[in-house]
Amino acid sequence: MAAKLLYFVLFIAAAVSADDEPVLARLLVSKQVLNKYLVENMDILVKYTLFNVGSAPAVEVKLVDNGFHPDVFTVVGGQLTAEIDRIAPQTNVSHVVTVRSNKYGYFNFSSAEVTYKASEDATDVQYSISSAPGEGAIVAFKDYDRKFSSHILDWAAFAVMTLPSLAIPFGLWYSSKSKYEKLSKPKKGH
Amino acid sequence: MVTKSFIYIITIALIGGICAESCQNPKVEASYFTSLDATVVTQIAYITEFTLKCDNTLPENYGLYAEVDGKSLTAARIGENKYQISWTEEPAKARSGVHQINILDEEGWASLRRARRADPAASVAPLLAIQLSHPGSYSGPWVNSEILATFISILVAYTALRNKSKILA
Repeated sequence: MAAKLLYFVLFIAAAVSADDEPVLARLLVSKQVLNKYLVENMDILVKYTLFNVGSAPAVEVKLVDNGFHPDVFTVVGGQLTAEIDRIAPQTNVSHVVTVRSNKYGYFNFSSAEVTYKASEDATDVQYSISSAPGEGAIVAFKDYDRKFSSHILDWAAFAVMTLPSLAIPFGLWYSSKSKYEKLSKPKKGH
Repeated sequence: MVTKSFIYIITIALIGGICAESCQNPKVEASYFTSLDATVVTQIAYITEFTLKCDNTLPENYGLYAEVDGKSLTAARIGENKYQISWTEEPAKARSGVHQINILDEEGWASLRRARRADPAASVAPLLAIQLSHPGSYSGPWVNSEILATFISILVAYTALRNKSKILA
């Protein structure tokens, strides 16, 4: 009886002290490049998703991506720096940016940087980096076009080139056919 | 491409206890971008950037939230009174046309959450609404040119052979 009571008391004590964890926000940031092919001067779609896996809201979240040098990449949609005032616990926020590259070659997609405060009354700023998509090959437009364009003009040129070998025999036959038809008509007329 | 246009907005007067922190008489100037070429990207991006002008000065950290097509989004601040709302969509599900974005501030968002807890179909009058028109994305020709060329050459060959057999018969 005493042992059972002791176990009960210990259990309650453990349960009470178990949820004595710090209530903090924790942001996991993923940076994804949503492209099938990376081609110069064509859209490169970058999506940043910030997941708050902590138990407190993340405040003053600042996302900055310095990995796209302005001389090479032009931003055509969205902005590479963004601030989100508050991310509630167990929720996520996404941010989408579209850039275009004016050079082709291998490019290393590096991480974006995120700073935030881990709770509403925190004073220290928490630094965090996103996942890095890694190295990608941006293909020259010429090569992409050769492989994937519809080549309508090339087919039209082919059709024009095959026209002589079809049109000349047809023309010869048609001229002799009409000549003989004209010859045969007057006979019937007699 | 990004086009700037003064969007015709619906200004909804906030009823009842108007907190001084809310935006009075909101006016918006928005530009938008959507992925027009779906051949190289795996998802279609919808991005709208807008500048919010209010009659009163807004408090710092004035957060905005949006609801589009049933999706709940948080607006990211990209500058002084400038916000960006963006989302991606599968190309198969992306439809061209106008998408209505209902924007709410924090109070509106909180009251929407409260209303939704009681009734999932509830809605709250938005602070303002932006319309994003997507002209549709090009995802390749309907018929491949080589299939078309094969078809035409078979047609020509068939016609020629039929006429030849008619003549010989």
